[in-house]
Amino acid sequence: MAYVATRGGERAIEQAERLYRAQMGEITPARVAEIERALPHLIDRVMGEASLYAPDLAALALAQSGGDLYEALLLLRAWRSTQPRLQTAAPVTQEVTLTHRRISAAFKDIPGGQILGPTLDYSHRLLATEVLEGARFVPAPVEKAARPAPACHPSLADWQKAQGLVEAPALAPVARDAIPDLTKEPLLFPAKRAHTLQSLARADTGGMLALGYSAMRGYGNAHPTVNELRLSEAEVIVRHPDGTEFSAGRVKTSQAEVVTTKGEGKLRLGFCATLGWNEVKTIAGATLDLNAPGAPKGSPVNEEFFLYHTEPVESSGFCIHFKLPHYVTFQSSLDALRDAKKRRETTEEPA
Amino acid sequence: MSLDTLTRPWKAFSYGFLDASAKREMRRKILKAIAVPGCQMPYASREVPIARGWGTGGLQATLTLVHPGSVVKVIDQGADDSVNAASIRRFIARVSGAATTLDTLEATILQSRHRVPEEKLRSDQVLVLQVPNPEPLRPVEPNMSVARQMHADADYGRMWLQLYEQIVRSGRVMQGASYPSLVNGRHVMTPSPIPRWDVPKLNMAEHLTILSAGREKRLFAVPPFTRVEPLVFDDVPYRVEEHGALSCHRSGALGFFMNEIPQEDGTARYEISDSQLGVKHLDGEAPGETWYRDGEFAT
Repeated sequence: MAYVATRGGERAIEQAERLYRAQMGEITPARVAEIERALPHLIDRVMGEASLYAPDLAALALAQSGGDLYEALLLLRAWRSTQPRLQTAAPVTQEVTLTHRRISAAFKDIPGGQILGPTLDYSHRLLATEVLEGARFVPAPVEKAARPAPACHPSLADWQKAQGLVEAPALAPVARDAIPDLTKEPLLFPAKRAHTLQSLARADTGGMLALGYSAMRGYGNAHPTVNELRLSEAEVIVRHPDGTEFSAGRVKTSQAEVVTTKGEGKLRLGFCATLGWNEVKTIAGATLDLNAPGAPKGSPVNEEFFLYHTEPVESSGFCIHFKLPHYVTFQSSLDALRDAKKRRETTEEPA
Repeated sequence: MSLDTLTRPWKAFSYGFLDASAKREMRRKILKAIAVPGCQMPYASREVPIARGWGTGGLQATLTLVHPGSVVKVIDQGADDSVNAASIRRFIARVSGAATTLDTLEATILQSRHRVPEEKLRSDQVLVLQVPNPEPLRPVEPNMSVARQMHADADYGRMWLQLYEQIVRSGRVMQGASYPSLVNGRHVMTPSPIPRWDVPKLNMAEHLTILSAGREKRLFAVPPFTRVEPLVFDDVPYRVEEHGALSCHRSGALGFFMNEIPQEDGTARYEISDSQLGVKHLDGEAPGETWYRDGEFAT
C-alpha cells in the first residue's frame, strides 16, 4: 500500500483501519463489562487521564483501542469535549470523603489512624502460573476487623496548621461556577492554581512518574515525605433547579500530599489529586508540585516544563505525528544543505 | 414546562462537531488574531477525534468557519490524496455537509499542512495552515512564557543572531522551511513549515491566512494585504529553493516547487508538489493564475 497514493488515499486508510480492528474482533457488551470488572485500576488510570469519570465508557474505549492507552484516552477526551457542562459540583474536602485507605509516612500514628485499605504494597509479587495450567485463582476472603474503621478522616495538614508547622494558604473565595476550567481556557504561566491542579489531575501517569522520579533522585530541591495518601470516594453534590443540593453519585478519588522540612522554618506541602485510584501518579505529581515554587525555567520541576510535557494526549499525538510525511520540509532543508556544501567546496582553501 | 420544551432534540454532537461555546471562543480568537497580525493568541483548543499534532488546530479553525455552502480542499505536503489529508477532508464533510474539492480555484476554505497552493488565492478564499510549532523563537527560547515576553518587547535580537551565526558557519542561512517572517512590521511569526518558496505568497496577499496550532493552543493570522517579510540582512538576500528550473517528470509542469524522488540508478526525478496543479497539466486543463511564472515569483 502506497504511503501517498495517487488518489488511493481514501481506500488505503479505510483498509488500514480494518486491519487494525480485525485484531480485536467483535466488541460485545459482555467484553466491555468484563474489562470494567476485571481491570479497575486500568479503568481508573484511563478515567483520570481522560478527566472523565465514566467506567463503562473507559472500558469501551479500552475495548475499541485494543488496550492502547493513548488511543483510549483520545477517544474519551474527544467524546468529552462534545459534552455540555451541566453544572459544577460542590467542592470536596478531605474530611468528608469516604476514605478507604489513608496512610502517612510522616508519623507513626495519626489522628484517625493509619488505614491500610486495599493494597498490594506488602504482597509477594508471584505470578499465579497455576492459572495457566488450568487451576483457578480464588482470592482468600477478607475478614472483618473487630472494630470498623471510621468512614471519614480528618486532614493531617489541619493538625499541622493548628501546630503552626504549616502556613495555611489564604483562602481565595470563588463562586462554584467561576472556577477556572482548563478545558475551556488556555494554560498560561504563571498558571492559575486551579489550572495547575487540573493539569496534574489529567496528566499522563508514566510521564509524571518519569519527571517526579527525576525530582526525587535529586534533580529537584526538596525531598518528599508522604504526609498523607488517601484513596476515597467523594459525593458529587449538584444543585437541583429548585435549589436543593443532592448527591448525583460517588467518584473514586486519590490524593497525595507530600511535605518537606526545607523551608523558612515551616513545612512546605505539595499536592496532587486525580479521579480514580492511582497512587503512583498522585505521589509523583505532589512531588513535582512541592518542587515547583522558585524552580528555574527549563528545569524538570519548573511548572511550565512538567505540565506541558506530561499532557498525555498532546505528547503522544505529537510523538506519533512524526509518522506523517515531512518530505516538503525535508526537501527545503536539503536545498539549503546542498547549497552550503557547494559553497564549502568552491571556497575551500588549499592545504 | 417539560424538558422537551426547554431543550433541543438530542444529537450526538453539534453541527461541525465543535459545540457552540468552543466555536464562539474560536471566532473571538480568530478576530483578535486578525486585529493583531502575526501575534499568537492562546486558545483552549478542544480535543477533536484526530490525534494532537495531526492538524487539530487547523481542523478547529476550519470547523468554526465551515457552513453547508462551503467548498473545502485539504492538502498535506501539497497533495490532496495524502492519507491524513484524505482523513481530515472526509471528517469535515461528514460533520458539516460541506462540499469538497481538489481544485484550488473552487475551494472557499483550504486547509493545508506545509504548503501554500501554487495557484493564486482570492479574497473570497481562506487558507488555514496547520501549525506544529507556533513559536518562531523556540530554537532560541524553548520556554513559552519567556518567549511571550520577548514578543511583547519585540526582542528579536537572538533570532537575528541565530541567522547571522548560520551565515558565519555555513555561508548561508540554513533555515529550510518555517522561515521566520516579520508580519506587518511588528510580530515575528513562523509561517508554519511551508518551504521558503511559499512565504512570498503570504505577503500582501488577497486572501486571509489563519495559522492554528491545536496542540500548542495558539492561533495567529495574516489578514489580506498585510506585509510578511522574511527576516534577512540587507546584504544577504532571501532565497527560495532552487526549483525554478525543474520540471515534473509526470506532468511536464515547469517552475514550481517539486518533490525529489530518488531513483534506483542513483539519479533523482522530480514531481510537482501541488498535486492538483499536476493533474491540470496532465489533463490539458488551463490552470488559474499562479504566483510563480517561469520559475520566478511574479510580483
